[in-house]
Amino acid sequence: MKIKDAEIISLMQHPRTQEKGVRALMDAYQSRLYWHIRRIIVDGDLAQDTLQETFIKAYQNFHQFKNDSQLYTWLYRIATNEALQQINKLKKMQKTDEDPEYYMQNLVADNTSEDAEEIQILLQKAIQSLPEKQKLVFMMRYYDDLPYEEISKIVDMSVGTLKTNYHYAKQKIEDYIKENYER
Amino acid sequence: MKEFDIEKLERKNIYTMPDDLFENLQEKVVRGLHEFDLEKLERKNIYAVSESVYEDIQNHVRNKVFPRKKAPVFRLNWAYAAAASLALIFGATFVFNSDDEILKENAGSNVSYTAGTQEKKTESEIAYETLKSDLTSVENNDQKVAAKSNNKSFTSEESEKEQKTVTPAVKSTAKQQETQMSEYLDSFSNSEISELASNSTQDVYLDLYN
Repeated sequence: MKIKDAEIISLMQHPRTQEKGVRALMDAYQSRLYWHIRRIIVDGDLAQDTLQETFIKAYQNFHQFKNDSQLYTWLYRIATNEALQQINKLKKMQKTDEDPEYYMQNLVADNTSEDAEEIQILLQKAIQSLPEKQKLVFMMRYYDDLPYEEISKIVDMSVGTLKTNYHYAKQKIEDYIKENYER
Repeated sequence: MKEFDIEKLERKNIYTMPDDLFENLQEKVVRGLHEFDLEKLERKNIYAVSESVYEDIQNHVRNKVFPRKKAPVFRLNWAYAAAASLALIFGATFVFNSDDEILKENAGSNVSYTAGTQEKKTESEIAYETLKSDLTSVENNDQKVAAKSNNKSFTSEESEKEQKTVTPAVKSTAKQQETQMSEYLDSFSNSEISELASNSTQDVYLDLYN
């Protein structure tokens, strides 16, 4: 049975029902948030740690949540920030001569399941070749089908800029696939 | 030009064109046939995930956010521990001993109870005793009193208990009575004995069904 956001919020606001609220929150959003984080970070273990941190931060800062925005928008914002922090940590740990784009593309190849299609692998590699903002916008629009208005609240960008970024991202991906796809 | 015959004109192209025009053209046509459209691609997750990923995440979050309180552990001084174990030993010994005494008491009561039940007499025994008392009553001329006491003996428990307390005395005198009775019976003739016996059967019948 799916619990509505209003019920989750109500449970989370009272100390006695907070644990139940956290459980309901995780049940409702764990899958969507996991895949959002996983597409950014690619590495499975790191994505798991990041999602855990996302839920813990959501619990710790729930008093900051305002009912004027959607619950999933707020959670996506936390998850995105956590994922970008992890990526920055990875970049700092990387060797200076190693190309970050090349590193991420190798990570894609290492993490894909055995039955993945070539075109899908290529798409993920193309996404990893994008600049950070274009990557985020493209993933939230293409995979999660989020409205531009909601994405603008998550990444603090105007709707116009988001549309432009999405257009460029899509163009680059198509070009990448055309160049690299062998039939 | 007076005479122009188009048929005699050389048929040639005068327009310039790039050398690889046809190669590029073919490539473009083929590409157009297999044009890639990102929107038509299936949107699915291709990364491998362990089955228990969500369970692990939930457990980790719950343990971190709502840690379970452990039961408090007290350190016990060895002197207190020794005192407690001694108290336990003495206590257990006392309880076992008191249980034995109670059991013994209970066992005694059981014996008396079962003894009481064992001494229930059968009809034939009662009849024999009645006959015997009748016969002795002939000697003592006190038939009615003896019959009444026998009636009470198998109708009320209290009288049975009284009987039980009297049984050792009765048993000691019973042998004497038997010897006396055998001597007494010897003194009777056969006809006299049969007459007495017929009287006694009537008495037994009355004793049993009254």
